[in-house]
Amino acid sequence: MLLLGRLGLGAIFLLAAYGKLRPQDAVPWSLASLKITPSSLGISSTFFAMQIDSFQLLPAWAVAPFAHMLPWVEFAVGVLLLVGFGLRYVSVLASLLIALFFAVVVRTYALHIAINCGCFGPNEKLGPWTLIRDGSMLVLCIAVTIGAFLMHRRAQSALGSAASNS
Amino acid sequence: MNRKAQFLFGVLASALLLSSATLSARNSGPQESRATADEAKLTAEKSLGSPNAPIKMEVFDDYECPACGQFYEQTLKILINDYVASGKVYLIHRDFPLPLHKYSRQAARWVNAAARIGKFETVERVLFDNQLAWSEYGTENPQGVIKPIVEGALTQAEFQRVERIMQGCESDSHDELKGCAVDAEIQRNIAMGQLLPVQQTPTFVVTCRGKKYPPTAGVVNWPILKQYLDALLNSQ
Repeated sequence: MLLLGRLGLGAIFLLAAYGKLRPQDAVPWSLASLKITPSSLGISSTFFAMQIDSFQLLPAWAVAPFAHMLPWVEFAVGVLLLVGFGLRYVSVLASLLIALFFAVVVRTYALHIAINCGCFGPNEKLGPWTLIRDGSMLVLCIAVTIGAFLMHRRAQSALGSAASNS
Repeated sequence: MNRKAQFLFGVLASALLLSSATLSARNSGPQESRATADEAKLTAEKSLGSPNAPIKMEVFDDYECPACGQFYEQTLKILINDYVASGKVYLIHRDFPLPLHKYSRQAARWVNAAARIGKFETVERVLFDNQLAWSEYGTENPQGVIKPIVEGALTQAEFQRVERIMQGCESDSHDELKGCAVDAEIQRNIAMGQLLPVQQTPTFVVTCRGKKYPPTAGVVNWPILKQYLDALLNSQ
């Protein structure tokens, strides 16, 4: 179950990163959409910055650095979750990220700010479906985090009992 | 029916189809090109800057929507003075009056009528600048009274011309009015928005050197929009 959960979460994070980093003029999932160049990256990240800005949360000076950084953080978290490296720490980071996203979409929805979510790429209207999706992802993330800590504790106690037996 | 009769029937039917298709193509040709030319003229009347600019930005707006007002005041005004004036951006206005805003359609009618006499920019500006004076969300009264605001922004002669175009248009109804000369253009803009699809206002679409980018919705501040436009201008 833990394996399935972390693989699913890893795929979700990679999907989110792909949606933000891919050339915005290319058809999603086409070969051209995988051709990421410095020029296309500049357009994608500034396009994502506009989506972040439309949430009206961050000051203007913070929008661009956040927009440039977030897709790469998502990419790294996705890869680490798939590989299973440092699972406890990575799952905590993933939970914090998704909790932040969830809080932001709940606030935006409650304030009736009609914008695109930008979560998995452009043209994705923020609505009740976004809340359900992000809420479910948060539950999954917390479950994976708890699972990762329980597995670690079980492994530790198994190691401890093996050491005392020897 | 024997094979010979079937063959003859087939040839006849094909010939009939071919000739009717040729005839309809002949008839629709000039009409279609005239319609396209009219649409291009109407689009140009509501556009700012040079059509040869590397970036084309289409903004779907609702004059009564507070976010559209905020986007116009905070971002589009600077864009017009800077990137449109310097020939980097061709800014196209598209009407997308939302039925939930009572006076938005009426405002769009006034702007379209003004556009017909070359006064689009003046009337668009005055309506956004005074949005609180006429919209439902305004603090001032009376609501929905757009005419004196437009009148104040134009000369008497200009206003009389706009008023003539507005004959048959003075209604808050969101339905297309039969006698209203500008409603067809507003309907055309709405249909374009629905194709995109526009889900909220303001929504804008950018095309750079023939490449169309995904639409963006909501208020975007000028420094952030500028970074995006610069990235597009610097791209190959």
